[in-house]
Amino acid sequence: MSSQITSQESLKLDPAAYDNLETTLTNKNGQIPLHKRFRAMFTLKNLADKESIDILAKAFDDDSILLKHEVAYVLGQIKNPYANPVLRSILANRSEDPMVRHEAAEALGAIGDLSSLDILEEYLHDENVVVRETCELAIAKIKYENGKNGQESPKSIYTSIDPAPPNGKVQSVTKLRDILLDTNLPLFERYRAMFALRNLGTTEAVLALAQGLDDPSDLFRHEIAYVFGQIQSPASVPALIKTLENMNELYMVRHEAAEALGSIATSDCLPVLRKFKNDQERVVKESCEVALDMFEYENSQEFQYADGLINQSIAVDK
Amino acid sequence: MGDDEHQHDFQEAGSGASATYPIQCSALRKNGYVLLKGRPCKIVEMSTSKTGKHGHAAIHLVGLDIFTGKKLEDISPSTHNMDVPNVTRNEYQLLNIDDNFLSLMTSDGGTKDDVRVPEGVTGTNLCSDFDDGKELLVTVISAMGEEAVVSYKEAPKCMYKAFSQSFCIYFFDAHIFTLL
Repeated sequence: MSSQITSQESLKLDPAAYDNLETTLTNKNGQIPLHKRFRAMFTLKNLADKESIDILAKAFDDDSILLKHEVAYVLGQIKNPYANPVLRSILANRSEDPMVRHEAAEALGAIGDLSSLDILEEYLHDENVVVRETCELAIAKIKYENGKNGQESPKSIYTSIDPAPPNGKVQSVTKLRDILLDTNLPLFERYRAMFALRNLGTTEAVLALAQGLDDPSDLFRHEIAYVFGQIQSPASVPALIKTLENMNELYMVRHEAAEALGSIATSDCLPVLRKFKNDQERVVKESCEVALDMFEYENSQEFQYADGLINQSIAVDK
Repeated sequence: MGDDEHQHDFQEAGSGASATYPIQCSALRKNGYVLLKGRPCKIVEMSTSKTGKHGHAAIHLVGLDIFTGKKLEDISPSTHNMDVPNVTRNEYQLLNIDDNFLSLMTSDGGTKDDVRVPEGVTGTNLCSDFDDGKELLVTVISAMGEEAVVSYKEAPKCMYKAFSQSFCIYFFDAHIFTLL
């Protein structure tokens, strides 16, 4: 697919295009709705060059935790070690929200540089458990990839770089579920079962994954909600609605449930997203806003989600 | 989704193959076949959308109806299944033209009289070449129980009698197997 040249890529070197994306992402005029800023962010993710990384890094000065955490995620997915320094500084900033620091640690794992092991080991003892567990996973992932079986993972139909490679040896949903739910196993092994179940994507696999939403680990529950957003199976909708509606659930998990519902985008996802779009927790409120935009995209004949170049190319022409 | 929705069973599809089979949208290729809006099409253009955070792309497909040439489009999530028609192509010797239907010689020496003279220039030229006494080989494409002449050519001189066996070419995805 990389061989396909789209009109987006031909705009790559236009400096005005970068300026426009930066203006939108960082909301320079204070008038840009969050969901548009997200679309600009994913446009930069697809451009994936150093200039885009520099622009993305500027968004860390924002006051939206949701936006900052997504920027960290996107920097990891671009997979360029050029983003390592900024991601390390975010992880090391103890006054930053744990959700953002977690995403920075995960992004360092996604980029997968051996040189990130030092800082990840340092924050393996962070006071926040979400950060600790993310460092544990990122270390395991980097070591796994650099080990002798590192390149053996089956290719996934999803374009994301995952925090753990799918378990390629176990095929049975029941066995994968047993690994997934066994809290005595290392988190890395449980995640590998999670991504294997995601790749299976059957209703049976989805229902097995849903049991993970009762796990004691916040990080684990949030990842289950994330993979539901990828699978887009209507079978996961009841469990996701329950998660979003649970006011005792951590904001980071409710956020992921909201965005998964926006991605699945069946009609029963809509009322609950509208209901919580004014949630008291800002991360949840903003997630519902982004999810409602995603819902609209999924239900439209619109082709590009990351449309930051299409819209602005009109502006550039004027 | 929808893998089991299409249980077509057309004998005409040849070799007992079903009329369509499902394939993941991301595995489709340009110049392959796909069902767009229920019509068998040849894919002439494919593009992938830029994804959001969940990393599932949409694929925009443009195809030409293999029978009518009409342009059809669809957008599908890359992870969803699409139906691919089993398309077969056969070459027959033209024996006669009667009341706008062709009489064709089948591989077992019988006749096949249910294919219409194609519309447009191909049809006009076919009729006039046949009226001129030329020995013609006609290529018939079939899919989803529908058949149509897509092209014809003059049979190689002195060869056509021995050559009246028909050719079957099956297209699977991008791979082509030729059976004589």
